[in-house]
Amino acid sequence: MAEESSTLRVGLAQIDSRLGDVEANLARHLSWIEEARQRAVDLLVFPELSLTGYRLLHLTPRVALRPAGSPVLATLATAAGGMSVVVGLVEEDERGVLHNSALLLQDGGPTLVHRKIYLPTYGIFQEERFLGAGRRIGLAQVRGNRTGLLICEDLWHPSLASRLAVAGAKLLVVPSAGPGRIGAGELPESQESWELVTRSTALLNTCWVVYCNRVGWEEGSFYTGGSHVVRPGGELVVRAPILEEHLLVAEIDLRDADRLRFKLPLIDDERFDIEGPA
Amino acid sequence: MIRREEVAARLTLHAPLAVAVLVSFIRDAVLTTGSAGVTIGLSGGVDSSLAAALAVRALGPERVHGFLLPYRTSSADSLADAQAVVAHLGLAARTIDISPMVDAYFDANEPEAEPGRRGNKMARERMTILFDQAKKLRALVLGTSNKTEILLGYSTVFGDNASSLNPLGDLYKQQVWQLAEHLGLPASVIQKRPSADLWPGQTDEGDLGFEYKVADEVLYLLFDRGLTPAEVVERGYPAAAVSRIVQYEQTFRFKRRLMLIARLSGSAVNLDQEIPRD
Repeated sequence: MAEESSTLRVGLAQIDSRLGDVEANLARHLSWIEEARQRAVDLLVFPELSLTGYRLLHLTPRVALRPAGSPVLATLATAAGGMSVVVGLVEEDERGVLHNSALLLQDGGPTLVHRKIYLPTYGIFQEERFLGAGRRIGLAQVRGNRTGLLICEDLWHPSLASRLAVAGAKLLVVPSAGPGRIGAGELPESQESWELVTRSTALLNTCWVVYCNRVGWEEGSFYTGGSHVVRPGGELVVRAPILEEHLLVAEIDLRDADRLRFKLPLIDDERFDIEGPA
Repeated sequence: MIRREEVAARLTLHAPLAVAVLVSFIRDAVLTTGSAGVTIGLSGGVDSSLAAALAVRALGPERVHGFLLPYRTSSADSLADAQAVVAHLGLAARTIDISPMVDAYFDANEPEAEPGRRGNKMARERMTILFDQAKKLRALVLGTSNKTEILLGYSTVFGDNASSLNPLGDLYKQQVWQLAEHLGLPASVIQKRPSADLWPGQTDEGDLGFEYKVADEVLYLLFDRGLTPAEVVERGYPAAAVSRIVQYEQTFRFKRRLMLIARLSGSAVNLDQEIPRD
């Protein structure tokens, strides 16, 4: 088990995935894990559904994995070694329900499974047609730092981030498959929206937010990339390029959350017991 | 609520970003299908010229196979403009006269056919040549239909609207002009009145009965902004044009579900708006 440390080297693996091809995606994960190791990354984050691709529709059951006994995950966990690695997959639960899940692999196996709670089913999105919603949130420790995991749309429902932060999370890890759209601005409109959400989350919850979005095209829709790291308080520290695969590495100091929380005690003041409106 | 004078600015794209996204779309489609390049019919109009320019940026001129496919009544200006684009982009283009194939059918079987039918036949004749050449060259057929004509159904079904991939399908006509200008395409191509050139003197705006500028803005308000036709008319657009646009859109919906469209805006046809065929 990796030693405790209040500074972490976080790696965001902003990759493209091949739709429905777990084997090819696994091979690519292994090479990115290797590159992250060479750059001394402590926590490596892959995007949402990184092992399968996103827009699976009726392909979803074909790529589903049961984590227990899965050779794919065993291979990844072995490759990760002492590094913490977050991967995205279609997870089949004990009832046969499929979930859009993110797994935190540490010391040879999963230590946290997050099943996406809010499944967008509007506009271009169709997740509820094919997937079951998660029903719980949890925390993990990354080198002694409480860390929460939310997938994409989960961050657009602020109660989850708030509950994780109140429960002690100083770092929120957000894998995503966020489709792009553009307008008159230099940054895609989709990127502007996401940064508004991640930065607000980091401000209102006085925590670090690391957002890893994929790139590539599926059925004529592109994923923006633009993965980024936001400091407690909402400052954007660093952003990966738009549209291109990239390994973004940043060193973050979790004590920044503590220092801000002394000046701005939003978390300590939070109340979940307010009654009404009638 | 949006005012008429605000609409034009809303339709303005960040041109370098739009070009980067569309170049990535073409490159990705060619790479993931293992194709050697694209074939494209060059009419001398702004749509096919822009599509070719994007393909050249994506693949280099040697992998973009341009075809000039005139009929004997095609305007000499169209051919000259197409040749100017070929020279401008440094393409090796081929000219194939479609008159013998089209005339053989009508002369022997349908000598009384009116111009509309002959125009459709020409569009489909061009399509079969582009697909045949694509087979020979291991290439994909690059589409050139823009969002305005797709929404209006102003195309020959399985003719000019047939393609393997379409980088322009989420661009309104004005956005096509904007990107063409940004890429420095020949002025004669950008400035001339759009025409399908299916018979002498034909213009798109003459056929349709309204200007592209009006059509783009009305369609944007109806589709991207969700206004009702009455709310569009309230903003000062001519009621007759709005009603004609609505009628086109409803009558020709069936033509839309045939193509792979590069999604840019968050309101892409088929992806965000799965409107079933009537």
